[in-house]
Amino acid sequence: MTSLMLLCTIAGRQAAIPAHAIRSVIEIDAVEPIPGTPPWIVGLTALRSQALTVVDCRVALGFESAGDPVGSRAAVIALDGHLYALVVDDASDVEEIEGDIQQLRGGFGRQWADAALGMVETPRGPAIILDVPALLGLDQSEAA
Amino acid sequence: MDDLLADFVAETREMLEASGGEIVAWEADPSDRARLDSIFRFVHTVKGNCGFFDFPRLERLSHAAEDALAEVRAGRRQPDSALVSAVLAIIDRIGEMTDAIEAGGEFPEGGDNALIAALEEGEPEQEGQLLASEAPASEAAGDAAKGRPTPQPTQAIQRSIRLPVDLLDEVMKGVSDLVLARNDLARRLREGGNQPTLDGPFERLSTILSGVRDSTTRMRMQRLEHLFGSFPRLVRDLSNDLGKQVMVDFEGGDVELDREMVEMVRDPLTHIVRNAIDHGIEKPVDRLMAGKREIGLLRFAARQSGNQISLVISDDGNGIDTDRLAAKAVEAGLRTPQEIAAMDERAKLDLIFEPGLSTADQVSAVSGRGVGMDVVRANILKIGGSIEVASTPKDGTSFYLRLPLTLSMMSALTVETRGQIFALPRSFADEIAFARTHMEELARAGESQMFTYRGRRIPCIALEEVLFGASAVPLDWSRKKLLVIRLATGELFALGVDQVLDHEDVVVKPIAPAIVATGLYAGTTLLDDGRPMMLLDMPSIAAKFGLVTKSRSRSDREQNDGAETNGAASQATITAMLYRGLDGRRRAVRLGLVRRIETIERSAIDIEGDRAQIVIDERLITLIGHEGSTLPEGNCRLLRLSDGASELALIVSEVLDAIDLPQNLRAPEANSEYEGIALVEGHPIPLIDGHTLFARHDRPVTETVSPTCRLPEDSEWARKILEPLVIAAGYTVLRDEADDGDLRIVIDGDAVPSSETKTPLLHLRSDRDPRGASDASIYRYDREALMAALARLRRENAA
Repeated sequence: MTSLMLLCTIAGRQAAIPAHAIRSVIEIDAVEPIPGTPPWIVGLTALRSQALTVVDCRVALGFESAGDPVGSRAAVIALDGHLYALVVDDASDVEEIEGDIQQLRGGFGRQWADAALGMVETPRGPAIILDVPALLGLDQSEAA
Repeated sequence: MDDLLADFVAETREMLEASGGEIVAWEADPSDRARLDSIFRFVHTVKGNCGFFDFPRLERLSHAAEDALAEVRAGRRQPDSALVSAVLAIIDRIGEMTDAIEAGGEFPEGGDNALIAALEEGEPEQEGQLLASEAPASEAAGDAAKGRPTPQPTQAIQRSIRLPVDLLDEVMKGVSDLVLARNDLARRLREGGNQPTLDGPFERLSTILSGVRDSTTRMRMQRLEHLFGSFPRLVRDLSNDLGKQVMVDFEGGDVELDREMVEMVRDPLTHIVRNAIDHGIEKPVDRLMAGKREIGLLRFAARQSGNQISLVISDDGNGIDTDRLAAKAVEAGLRTPQEIAAMDERAKLDLIFEPGLSTADQVSAVSGRGVGMDVVRANILKIGGSIEVASTPKDGTSFYLRLPLTLSMMSALTVETRGQIFALPRSFADEIAFARTHMEELARAGESQMFTYRGRRIPCIALEEVLFGASAVPLDWSRKKLLVIRLATGELFALGVDQVLDHEDVVVKPIAPAIVATGLYAGTTLLDDGRPMMLLDMPSIAAKFGLVTKSRSRSDREQNDGAETNGAASQATITAMLYRGLDGRRRAVRLGLVRRIETIERSAIDIEGDRAQIVIDERLITLIGHEGSTLPEGNCRLLRLSDGASELALIVSEVLDAIDLPQNLRAPEANSEYEGIALVEGHPIPLIDGHTLFARHDRPVTETVSPTCRLPEDSEWARKILEPLVIAAGYTVLRDEADDGDLRIVIDGDAVPSSETKTPLLHLRSDRDPRGASDASIYRYDREALMAALARLRRENAA
């Protein structure tokens, strides 16, 4: 099985996001904070007349934030008609990944447990596939 | 009306086209429930629409078809081919009639009864008779107008086209993106310094773009007024039919809603209105018994809140009897008694949205067939809205609708707090006040802040605390600006912000579910510089801070206000109806005087010299408010005022709002027409003095028992000339020989009162001069003396 994945690093770990969900990869320019929202929602940023909800993947997973996301790279995801920018440590290229999604006995760790679909082998080693809807707290996880 | 009619024709035709396939499919398989339902819905909708357009024939046909189909739906009747053909014949006839309506012609008489009779089950003999008796009539009609029954192709010029809303959506989205691209370009141009060769064309582009944006917005949007406009008539007709009195009150008619959405909610709202009048509002007698005003109030209030419209339809009727509803649900087999027992009041109330359930004991032409609330809810859900019901027994029922408004322009106020800018829908803001200048009106109770607004204490919340949580440092209220927010339920609160910046039109875009979950925001929008700005969800914020009491409708608040006015010292405000007179001036009249709001045609008004009257429901009512102004063309708005006994119709150009006026009015200057002058938002508003008004137009009340009078029977003069005078003086003329009555009039008779009878006599003579000194008779053409004598005798009789 071959699939396209965006390889990125989140909290220092290799992760992959299925490429079909991704609109583009941007560099966060400016963020307008939204008071009252959960901490993993950093705020809104504008991308060509559209407002994106900026999500700090580190915080969403339960890690410490890396600080101000301005200048960080983010994957733009469209989900149920809403656009999100997932802030990651770093994003490299979209790669063609060979092989099936594998599970690991014992899981991937507390933080990753809810937001991982499994893992794949990449040229740079194993990467965890993000379950984006689960990461965004949306119950209906389509990919699962 | 023409617009509505065109809509009706277009809608009916569209449904006909859509149901064409269904009908054929149903014919093939009459037991197909889904087809049956969709055909039933079609005739039901046609029936509903006919109700307010006054097409009795269409209504009769659709009602008959609906009845027959309802029988089938209820399983009391098997669909057979005879029934299918009969229904199809009626649907064809509906199509033909619709064509005739569009062409502005009359559909030839006759034929309807045969069609309706064909729906009847069995008894073919009777059917045959009916057909036979009907046939000649329709044939005759057919002969008279050769071939008229065949549908004629209409040659009306098309002045409008119907477009798919998707296309409009696309255009709209494109235009708003264009605007943002323009803004982006503008910023870059500014950064690049003065470039005369570019600035000119850019200016032109901007102007054109804003024009295009305006018109694309208008393309999709329609004021709710357009929708509300059809309700007064509907309410009037329904309440007349049912012997009830209902006043309608609209608020937020200027809220704009997507055109498609307007069409989608029209039917559900019509259903709710029908139900409210049929089941909710009681008959005047019952209302009086229950201690309410005899006129029921049906209230529509619309508010735009972010990308949603909230619409509240409330009546002050009898409420929903949940026990009866539950009993019906058990009866219909929808729930078991055990399930009912486990339900709370809310769940029972929600049973009204259950299919196949109706609280009406009798099926009336108005409502109560079980299509109703389930269809209403299905339609509202289909368009992404929600509907909720709240009901207080004896106090009334309210339906809360929330409708989405994804692609809408709205006017918003921008406010600043802790250096961040937020927008809130302008329709919520009643007034802006600077706390500094209103220090004396701020008060604390416990830990809560209050603000005195028009004599009432309203709760205060600071946006800062709403968004960032309670701060450790006490807020400095004196530096806040206060926005008085009025919710759709009519409740008020004050929102403290750091700055009120500006108002602007914004395009609201939906926000991610995780942000919606905060209950603080309704959407987002982009500022001119491309920065996103959050739109505050005022109703949700109010609910979060416990500022809304759901069951408290405006009608019972008014009752409370009324109670206060009757009380001793606690008087704070006068509830009044604000209106704009024909002369364009705004005035107010006490709400208690207003019986109902009416729209009538110009032709119902009759003005001759000082006498101005209007015909409403076959009654003559004195018209006021027209003096010195020209009457509007077409329809006129009226406020029907009543002092309990007599009625006056006050013509207005616009009914504005129900408002609370301060009790301490400024004394009017010499003009006793007004009770006083109130200041509303800085404008003087005279309050009409009810006493002066009714005193001026007071008519002698005809006593229920008028004295009787006997006239000479043989005199032609007495019959033709005298009788009208006597009647005008308040007498009933007797024709029966047996009774002498209270007065006898004798002409040229014996001038001496006869001792035989105690009946007073009034003598008239034909000669101008009296016959002698003892002659007390009155010359028959001495009108003054005659009337005076009649009046005197009447008074003596009464005493």
